Amino acid sequence: MSPHRVVLNNGITVIMVENPTADIMTARFFIKAGTRCEPPHLFGLSHLLAAVMTKGTGNLSSMDIAERVESVGASVGAETSNDYFLFSLKTVSVDFQDILTLGAELLRSPALPEAEVELEKRLTLQAIRSQKEQPFAIAFSQLREAMYRDHPYALSTLGVESTVAGLTRLDLEKFHRTYFRPDNLVISLVGCWPLDDAIAALEAAFGDWQAPPLPIPKVDLPRLTPQPTVRKTSQDSQQSIVMLGYLAPSVLLKNGDGVPPEYAALKLLNTYLGNGLSSRLFVELREKRGLAYDVSAFYPTRLDKSQFVVYMGTAPQNTAIAIEGLRVEVERLTALYLHNDELQTAKNKLLGQYALGKQTNSQIAQILGWYETLGLGVEFDEMFPEAIAQVTAEDARRVASRYFTDPYISLVGPAAALNSAIPSPVS
Amino acid sequence: MPQTSTSSISRVVSDSHCPARTFERPDGLTVVHQYVPHSPVVVTDVWVNAGASVEPDDWSGMAHFLEHAIFKGTDRLGPGYFDAAIEGCGGLTNAATSYDYAHFFITTASPYFSETLPLLSELLLHAAIPEDEFFREREVVFEEIRQSQDSPDDLLFEATLETVYQNHPYRRPVLGTQQSLLGRSPADLRQFHRSHYQPQNLTIAVVGGISELEALDRIDDCFQNFFPNPGCPQAIITPEPPIRGVRRRELAFPRLELARLNLTWTGPGIDHLDDAYGLDLLSMILASGRSSRLVRELREQRQWVQGITSYFSLQRDSSLFTISAWLEPRFLDAVEQASLHQIHRLRETPVDPLELARAQRQLCNDYAFSTETPAQLAGLYGYYQILSRADIATRYPQRIQDFQPDNLRQIARQYLSLQNYVVTIGVNEQ
Repeated sequence: MSPHRVVLNNGITVIMVENPTADIMTARFFIKAGTRCEPPHLFGLSHLLAAVMTKGTGNLSSMDIAERVESVGASVGAETSNDYFLFSLKTVSVDFQDILTLGAELLRSPALPEAEVELEKRLTLQAIRSQKEQPFAIAFSQLREAMYRDHPYALSTLGVESTVAGLTRLDLEKFHRTYFRPDNLVISLVGCWPLDDAIAALEAAFGDWQAPPLPIPKVDLPRLTPQPTVRKTSQDSQQSIVMLGYLAPSVLLKNGDGVPPEYAALKLLNTYLGNGLSSRLFVELREKRGLAYDVSAFYPTRLDKSQFVVYMGTAPQNTAIAIEGLRVEVERLTALYLHNDELQTAKNKLLGQYALGKQTNSQIAQILGWYETLGLGVEFDEMFPEAIAQVTAEDARRVASRYFTDPYISLVGPAAALNSAIPSPVS
Repeated sequence: MPQTSTSSISRVVSDSHCPARTFERPDGLTVVHQYVPHSPVVVTDVWVNAGASVEPDDWSGMAHFLEHAIFKGTDRLGPGYFDAAIEGCGGLTNAATSYDYAHFFITTASPYFSETLPLLSELLLHAAIPEDEFFREREVVFEEIRQSQDSPDDLLFEATLETVYQNHPYRRPVLGTQQSLLGRSPADLRQFHRSHYQPQNLTIAVVGGISELEALDRIDDCFQNFFPNPGCPQAIITPEPPIRGVRRRELAFPRLELARLNLTWTGPGIDHLDDAYGLDLLSMILASGRSSRLVRELREQRQWVQGITSYFSLQRDSSLFTISAWLEPRFLDAVEQASLHQIHRLRETPVDPLELARAQRQLCNDYAFSTETPAQLAGLYGYYQILSRADIATRYPQRIQDFQPDNLRQIARQYLSLQNYVVTIGVNEQ
């Protein structure tokens, strides 16, 4: 089941994997434009476009579209993320042609009806407010804002109330016109159709779409340098959320192709620290000390500077102990060499779970299309495990020393607990 | 380990329509196996008939606490050894506890099946539950309880169950409470384990790149020498009286941005599976997708809700049928009335054949999309075997297709009363 890569005459890149095992067709359409392309006064633009995109074409109403999709039990959806915009289809094989035809129309010429824009805008504003209901969401959002300041990664993909409130249909239309073009599109298709039939169907649906003569605008984003701060939100919750973040490298190499060695080393350290029941944080802070139920780490793959985050939820009286515990575990990596067996276990875990994450058609379509969209190419799927296998204890320590300096700290919990942990004014 | 030959595990006659085959040993241990050609992985999912429903009231939370404590090892496997062994060979492991079951699963590349299975059986059969680990892990469970207390939706769901069920253990949270857990000792937890983790309560589902012969052989070998059963206080499950009248509960939360409305009815148990599947269809017709009745009317047209869903949750003794909405408080009454109006329509007027066909296609495709991987299949078989029989799981699409508009109207009339239901509401305390 190796991927085939074809570029159509109009510039669309197609990635296709033929998988006869199930009667399922999955297509993912990646537009190389996510929240990172949103101008600061229009944050939330691509999310709103995603919400309205499936709600009308020149001759179909929102309900017509819903009935056509749902009557065959298909799913059609649009969503945005930091680095790309995603439109997805999933059907059983017999319905694929019909839903693909509809999907192409939605992707190429959505009507964006005014009434639907207003409805989804109001619901988005509510959803933004609802993020304040979850302590974890508050902690993560204040960490992001501290780390990314005026960079678009600072915000949730929903945007913020002040910018979303001002979005208009014209803004959506302009964003669509600017970025939705064949030479900015990657289609990733995994399913039981024979390769040639699938390519022919895509040709029929998209072949006559031509890119405008204008170049795709380049995004100029602010440079980020670490300026660690402490952010707090006090509320009478049962738990404190403690989150530490470090700015971390992008997945892109500055010059050339391949897997950045620092990225590979940090992915491995992320697994070592925070992935699974045998991870260092889980064993040291949960198994041995009973400080947390939820304790973990994440280091997302990003086009621009990423973040390496460790966090836990703990009883308020343990807030200071939790900050200390997380710091000790992260900073330990800057001072010592991991044993060979620790390193090998982390590699086995990361590579085994990487392989297990590619079982369904949707998972395969997502990962291959995403690599292609980020400019890494589908080969990245083969190169990544090789790069992980080559990380040495020295690499890991060097990269840890470089990035795990002073953490940004984000706390949510009862005021007294936060203040006794880190005395400073509470927001 | 005493050796027994696989001849002691024998095939149980099952539906030839099902690609999995079921086996049983004389002591009651059940195995469900499906070979998936070309699959590079094997999933072993052990289902135990010992969820929160078997706990007496003052043992509340023990089934879930045991799920945590089991990972603390045995006399032969120290704490953490199992997790490191599974994850160290690139595998995944985890567990979950609900009312009707607890289950423990490992996913590994096929070649590791043989060496990881004895570790899993050792944990499940011979959990040591040392004193110090009991107290340490109890703190972890307390954190899990605290986390759920910071979630308005979790608290509202707890309040809903408490209001729906008068007697049944379903009315208590699976996690138990700090108080109920503080009332029990390490010896109690060991007693709970030794009484319930017995062969007649275990179903082992194995799906993936492993042959039937090898799977049965290894399971038979590894699942031996159960602890003697000391006996344990059991929940007494009396038939739940039907809901009489409208029961209302309102909870106020400090940081709620949007109000919540939950309408709940009880449905049949596992012994009326066709009725349950009918309610599955009704929940789709009500609120699955933009073309469904409630989403279309309340989110898209009237714009009274942020979102509205309907969910049917199959449970062994008494299922749940819910309608849940996120909305501004001023629409609470109107949305409740509109939902009831749609229930009324389902009771009085047979659904349109096209509407029924749409719901049927959606459910059948959902089924196809959720049986793609060995892990999904093993979960499906284990769940059905614990509740009833594994081989009926794969009949689901056919049984869904068989419904006619009039069957659904009968089922709506039988279960979805306009006079007897539960309303739970969450609002901001200001």
